[in-house]
Amino acid sequence: MVSITLTAMEIAVRKLFAIMPFLFGIGFIAPLTAQIMASFSLAAPLGMSNIVFGLIFGGTWGLIATMRGRWL
Amino acid sequence: MSDPVDRTIDRSNRAHPGDAQEAFDIPVTDAPAIPLNGSDELDQHTRVDLLKQERGIAKQYHGGPMWMYPAAAFGGIALWVSFFPLTMFFGFPLAVAFVISCVLATGGYVTSHEAMHSNIARKGDKLRWLNEWTGKVSTIPIVFPFSMARMMHLEHHYHVNDPDKDSDYTDEAPNWWMAIYKTWYNRQPGVDGSIHHYKRILAEMGTPEADKALKDTLKLQLLFMAVLFTMAWTGFAIEAALLWWLPRHIGLSYIRFYLSWAPHHPREGKTGRYDCANIFKSRLGHVMSMGMQTHLIHHLYPGIPNHKTKDAYFALKPVLEKRGVDCSAL
Repeated sequence: MVSITLTAMEIAVRKLFAIMPFLFGIGFIAPLTAQIMASFSLAAPLGMSNIVFGLIFGGTWGLIATMRGRWL
Repeated sequence: MSDPVDRTIDRSNRAHPGDAQEAFDIPVTDAPAIPLNGSDELDQHTRVDLLKQERGIAKQYHGGPMWMYPAAAFGGIALWVSFFPLTMFFGFPLAVAFVISCVLATGGYVTSHEAMHSNIARKGDKLRWLNEWTGKVSTIPIVFPFSMARMMHLEHHYHVNDPDKDSDYTDEAPNWWMAIYKTWYNRQPGVDGSIHHYKRILAEMGTPEADKALKDTLKLQLLFMAVLFTMAWTGFAIEAALLWWLPRHIGLSYIRFYLSWAPHHPREGKTGRYDCANIFKSRLGHVMSMGMQTHLIHHLYPGIPNHKTKDAYFALKPVLEKRGVDCSAL
């Protein structure tokens, strides 16, 4: 076993990638969900806006993927 | 902060060639370092003579015009980039752009692959820059930097089917439908497969080249995410999904299936010179399987370009049959 010294930037990037599924959930899946709903004229439940629904859906899915290490 | 890395795997012993020169550097003797397989009935002189014949034929399929690979790579990337403004602002049909983007993402690996083996121009050649840039631009749609792609692909060649050293061994699966599933499974964030597996190997290698490849990977992945997020939050999420995100996944799965699983299955124990890859009949044909039906030729002579592999196989077939290679499929 050997040790590799990591720079502050590398540590920051590693931390970022560790939570990337969550970031992907709110950064991409959320607006994608909202725009797909809008293009099919689908309304979000409980009077929510499409983007709020997308954030809840994408954020939750991304959080689960971050914790489980699997999207499905 | 330090990160403990297991660097116990010795990758210095290369059992197979990675480029055109290495394929001919192996001495024309019955050296035990190169398993010459085939029938035990073949005596040493016959085997050496067969290897000489094999090389004589293989040499005829090296070289020749290679301009079509850079042309396809640069033309492809230009077309793919143009789809972003065309679909976002000029009403170009997104469905058409999506289908073509899938083809470009998948086919880009073929042009990059020639550059990985320095088949467009070798180190020191005047057109070396063209080789490098062909490789670099080709794999942008699949978010796979050329530096990492080349290192990992050569590791696959050097240690083909070695469960500990072959960088592509994680693609192995018992049947075709499990292989397709695994192309997706290996990309999951917590699974040590595909690019995650490559990152681990590069960290283990710890060389300056490996370090650069890791940094290139992080940069390209961050760029990919930045583009997706920016497009998504400015109202173009569906365009981002259909031009880059989904074509990348489809392309990677297709590549993993046809360029890794199909030509090597089953991998276990097949580490010899003549049994490390298959000669097989693809249901999708020669072009759609990206020339992989005769993948053994590529492992024997990586300097033979993709478009000549099939012809080289038919020329080499009599020699390969004497070696005990199963050529019944083609």
